Amino acid sequence: MEAAAFGYRSVRFGPFSLRFHLGHCLLSVVFAVILLGSAIAALAIGSGRAGIADALAFLTGVSSPAHEVVGSLRAPRVAMALACGAMLGLSGAALQALTRNGLADPGLLGVREGASLAVIATILGWPDAPLYLRPIVGMAGGLAVAFVAMSIARSLSQIRFILVGIGISWFLSAIVALILVSADIDNVQAAMIWMAGSLSGVQPALLPLAWTCLVLGGGMLVLAVRAAEANLLGGMTAIGLGVRTARYRLTAIAASVLMTAAAVSCAGSLGFVGLLAPHLCRFLIGSGQPALLAGSAMIGAWLVLLADTIGRTLFAPLQIPAGIVLSVLGVFLLVGLIWQRRHHI
Amino acid sequence: MRAAHFINVPKVTGWAFLLLAVGLTFALALLHLAVGARGMPPSVLIDALISFDSTNFDHRVLVSLRLPRLCAALLSGAALGMAGLLLQSLLRNPLAEPHLLGLNAGASLAVVVATALPAAIQPTVLERPFLAAGGGALVFAAVFALSSAGRLGLTVTKLIFCGIALSALSSALVSAVLLLDQETLEAVRFWLVGDLAGTSWSQVSAALLPLCLAGVAAAALSPHLDAMTLGDASAAGLGVPLKATRLIGLAAAALASGAAVSTVGPIGFVGLIVPGLAFRLSGKRHLPAVALSTLGGAALLVLADIAARSLLPGREVATGIMTALVGAPVFLLIVARRS
Repeated sequence: MEAAAFGYRSVRFGPFSLRFHLGHCLLSVVFAVILLGSAIAALAIGSGRAGIADALAFLTGVSSPAHEVVGSLRAPRVAMALACGAMLGLSGAALQALTRNGLADPGLLGVREGASLAVIATILGWPDAPLYLRPIVGMAGGLAVAFVAMSIARSLSQIRFILVGIGISWFLSAIVALILVSADIDNVQAAMIWMAGSLSGVQPALLPLAWTCLVLGGGMLVLAVRAAEANLLGGMTAIGLGVRTARYRLTAIAASVLMTAAAVSCAGSLGFVGLLAPHLCRFLIGSGQPALLAGSAMIGAWLVLLADTIGRTLFAPLQIPAGIVLSVLGVFLLVGLIWQRRHHI
Repeated sequence: MRAAHFINVPKVTGWAFLLLAVGLTFALALLHLAVGARGMPPSVLIDALISFDSTNFDHRVLVSLRLPRLCAALLSGAALGMAGLLLQSLLRNPLAEPHLLGLNAGASLAVVVATALPAAIQPTVLERPFLAAGGGALVFAAVFALSSAGRLGLTVTKLIFCGIALSALSSALVSAVLLLDQETLEAVRFWLVGDLAGTSWSQVSAALLPLCLAGVAAAALSPHLDAMTLGDASAAGLGVPLKATRLIGLAAAALASGAAVSTVGPIGFVGLIVPGLAFRLSGKRHLPAVALSTLGGAALLVLADIAARSLLPGREVATGIMTALVGAPVFLLIVARRS
């Protein structure tokens, strides 16, 4: 078996066969345990009186004196951090595979700004709009920007696509600023809190929606994982291998825009997760597409959880938005990536 | 080579454009003074400038509120235009601009940190532009070093990415300082988004010296810059000291953008739109191009400020937003046209 040389094994169940990488699977399980432990720790840490015993009691359904603190304050926040981080990590991994460019990130491509603009316009123009409308509107905005960027850049895999995305982001953030100035001050406050990328004002009503989008988008990417792997060899080769590239592109773009828009509308702009997670995953777990998807989701979730927990505990009672912690981490990675590519870009 | 490359704008036309720019800037300046929450007829304007009457309310509004704002816009726009031209000529890159290359972010970081310092060691208003220039130069040096690494040398893509990365780092540090220090946040909140409201005479006069220094340096360097358009080897053969020219030119650009940032805050894209146009209109010679770009920058920022004050009835928009609204499409245009 040729593939076995690279650590891949295959199992047959009648007409189906499953190919997997033993090392990647083991590492993923290890990381899942770390993620679970971090989530329990995040439930137990904070300024309120609740410790590890209360966190475990909450998870197992036993009532404890600190049930209120853990259940209604920390648990929604942790659950939202996990969902948004996983979505951003996944969409970063999908965009990097699609553009065959390690510098792609939903924030750099303008998708995030497009979703922000649409959501802010909804918050300000229709303050009574139901909450579940936000991700839908955000997705429309993100998709529109993605299509504009593609039509200006003409080619997906060139570095120009990213430069175009950057230009569009600048333009859209100027428009967001213009809208914020012109709107009613009461609504602007709500929009500002949402925009800072802080998880402190998480609305539990949005949780089911965030997890639904994660399952939907993640499912679409899992179905497209073989096409993604073939696409990494180049568009022509992928066609030759029997991949319907148009359908793959549409799936990947739709999934990543859906998840970015959902994350942006639930938790505001959390920068650089989509860039950080796939690269950390290549370093820690492995770089095959299945491993990359599973790993990016877990590492993205872990990063946002970590940034939020650091932000709310380090300078307590002052809360530093998770977005700021993430952007400091992200900048160093971006510089490292540029350095790695210094001979080519 | 196509014939069009040999057709040059005659010398006279370059200076004619300069005269035109002076007229345009003057007209925009008058419009800037007249437009506002309280409209002023031209007669009041002329009256206030010729025979100032301190008991007249309109005159006092003009001289103590609108005139310093106009001067701040003129000076900063001029500084940004000049800095943009120097950067574009020295780096041979149409996308080189103080905001994109991290100069503005570094300057803002320096100013914010200085504002957060205890009062005893806080720099004076006069020292502030130089401090801002130092911060900008530091961040730009990092951007420049990082993007010159590698076999391909200095490329547009690396410049933009490094500029974005280090600007993001600077602004994260600015946010951290502001989160920890409420007083500084109050002091710099509007300045940080490029809002010209409430500019004082002391800030304007502090920017004058660094701007003049940068202007003298730019004018003195322009023959060298002309020679450098032929390529480094030819310029060296013509006796241009390449290293010194680059060092002085970049320092002058940092000084000019520091002066602008310390007066009106980090305003971007002025240095992207104006210099390319100025260079072409002045027949690709640097001395008229420096003058034209300086004037053009001043005119553009005054125009942006007029738009910022009159676009929304009853409300003011930060001037930096207006320049970004025009500048980002220009950036896209330049990127899309490069193959």
